[in-house]
Amino acid sequence: MQENINKKIEDAMHSIDGIEKSSPSPFFFTRLEARMQKEKNIWETLTSFITKPVIAFACICLVIMINAFVIFSSSNTDSTVTQQTNQLATVDEYSQLSATLYEFENTKP
Amino acid sequence: MNEKELIALLKQKDRAAFKDIVETWQDMVYNTALGILQNEEDAEDTAQEVFIQVFESISSFKEDSKLSTWIYRITVSKSLDHIRKKKRKKRFAFIQSLYGGNDEKMIEPPDFFHPGISIENKENAVALFKAIEKLSSNQKSAFVLNKIEGLSYLEIGEIMELSDSAVDALLQRARKNLKVSLKDYYKLLGC
Repeated sequence: MQENINKKIEDAMHSIDGIEKSSPSPFFFTRLEARMQKEKNIWETLTSFITKPVIAFACICLVIMINAFVIFSSSNTDSTVTQQTNQLATVDEYSQLSATLYEFENTKP
Repeated sequence: MNEKELIALLKQKDRAAFKDIVETWQDMVYNTALGILQNEEDAEDTAQEVFIQVFESISSFKEDSKLSTWIYRITVSKSLDHIRKKKRKKRFAFIQSLYGGNDEKMIEPPDFFHPGISIENKENAVALFKAIEKLSSNQKSAFVLNKIEGLSYLEIGEIMELSDSAVDALLQRARKNLKVSLKDYYKLLGC
């Protein structure tokens, strides 16, 4: 049995001696060109779409609008914060003053 | 037209030069890819990818080596990439099937019959190709280039960027591993 397996292994190892070269099916170059054209077309379509004046203008407008929104919203937040800080400062000041007056006026129960 | 002129024309994206290159090397590229991938559709697909890469990156070809060596190098790397992609897809499909996302049954590929092998050797060649499939990437590439493409150790070394002795060692290990795989295969068949 071992001899049989060894013989089979040797036969298999030599089975591709003198193998003939295989070729792709006919019109390989035509198919290759068609594939290259198809891949090129995908990129061409994409770039021609992006570079259309309407699309380009709309993109620029969108970017400007986003920028404007971010700038205005941040300046609004800043003014609200400033206003709140001022209010707090006034309240603190008055409360401190009134507390002092009250303390002066009501020194004895 | 000599090789230098052909390369110069291809760098200018000349269609006739590209056609010339494809027609000269298509059998070599397809045959190598077929030996590594063991599937005719995958080999054709990879051969197309190889020539697209040749066309797109000819400007980066520094002419330190022969054009054929460069094309062989692209073919081997594209074929190995194809195997990796296929394995990744298989693994993903297996994980999907575990979670019940993919109800399709995974079909084992049929035995590979190389069209260049004579009928009397077909049965033995099927066993050998099954064993070749189990080799590591480097051993598989070296074995295919040597036995199927008939390249010398020197040429294989240039393609794989290895020394002659490294190629020799690689092929010896490949032959040893093939014999082990074949032994298991024939034992399983009950020979």
